[in-house]
Amino acid sequence: MNENIVLTEAVFYTLLALHAPLHGYGIMQETEKMSNGRLKLSAGTLYGALSTMLEKGWIKALPGEEESRRKEYQITELGKAIVKGEMARLEELVENGKKIIK
Amino acid sequence: MKKTIFRLYYVWQWEKEEQWLNDMSKKGWQLVHATIGKFNFESGEPSEYNYRLELLDSNIKSLESTSYLNFLQETGIEMVGKCKNWIYLRCKTADGGFEPNNKTLYDLTHLLKLQEFTNKVRNTLIVLIALGVCTLLTLESFGSGHLADFVKGFCTGICLSGSLVSVFMIPFTKSINEKIKKTIKEMYTCE
Repeated sequence: MNENIVLTEAVFYTLLALHAPLHGYGIMQETEKMSNGRLKLSAGTLYGALSTMLEKGWIKALPGEEESRRKEYQITELGKAIVKGEMARLEELVENGKKIIK
Repeated sequence: MKKTIFRLYYVWQWEKEEQWLNDMSKKGWQLVHATIGKFNFESGEPSEYNYRLELLDSNIKSLESTSYLNFLQETGIEMVGKCKNWIYLRCKTADGGFEPNNKTLYDLTHLLKLQEFTNKVRNTLIVLIALGVCTLLTLESFGSGHLADFVKGFCTGICLSGSLVSVFMIPFTKSINEKIKKTIKEMYTCE
C-alpha cells in the first residue's frame, strides 16, 4: 500500500511538524526552523497541502475550537506510515547516489 | 496622502497587474482598496507591502473561500480588494512577502484556474449563439410583424457579438494552453 507515493518537501515537512498539534502559522514557523530557513511555505501552498492531507486522512483537524479561526492539526497513524515510507525511499536515493558519485 | 487610479486589466494580464502594484509599492504607494478598474492608494513606506492577485475556486462568500481567507489572515495576509472571485492580497515584505516556494506549481495552479474561467466563458457564448440561431430560424418560418423584426435584430446582434468575442478570445485561450504545457514540462525536471 502507498508504496509509490512521492512527497513534496512541503508535505514532508508539514507531516513532520504535525507530530505535535499546530495551527497554520505554527506549521510555517516550524518548517522554516527545521530546514534552517531554507523552506518558507507560502500560505496558499500550505492551505492546499493541508486540505489534501485531511482528505487522505494523513492528518486530522483537532476538535474543540470549532468557532475559532485558528484550527489546529495533528498527524494520524496513516500519516506516520506515509512519512516512514518516504524516508525509506529517500534513504535508497542517497545510498545509490553515494555508491556512484563520490 | 491618498490617490485613486483608474485602470483596466484583462484577467490574463494578472502578472502585469501584480507587477504594477508591486512597483507602486516600491515607490511608496500602498494599495488599500481595489474594485474593478479602480485602485485606491495611500502613501507609506516604500516596499512596505508585497502584493499578489489570486482567483478563488468558489464564490467569495462560500464557506470554502471564507475558511481560506481566515487561514490567510492568520498568517498575516490581508485582503485589500476584490472583483468577483479575484482577490487582491498583501502582506508585509518584512514577513517574507509572497515568494512562492514552488513557483512552477503556483504558476500551474493559476493557469489551470484561468483555463477553467475561459472555458466557462466560451461555453456560455456557445449556448447564447445556439439559442440565437434557433430563435432566428423559428422566426424565419413563423414570425412576422414589428415584434418579430425586433427579436430578429436582437438575436442577430447576440450571435454577431458572441462570435466576435469568441474569435477575439482564441489567441488568449491558445496562449494559456501553451503556458500550461510549458509549465508541465518544467515540472518534470524541477519538481
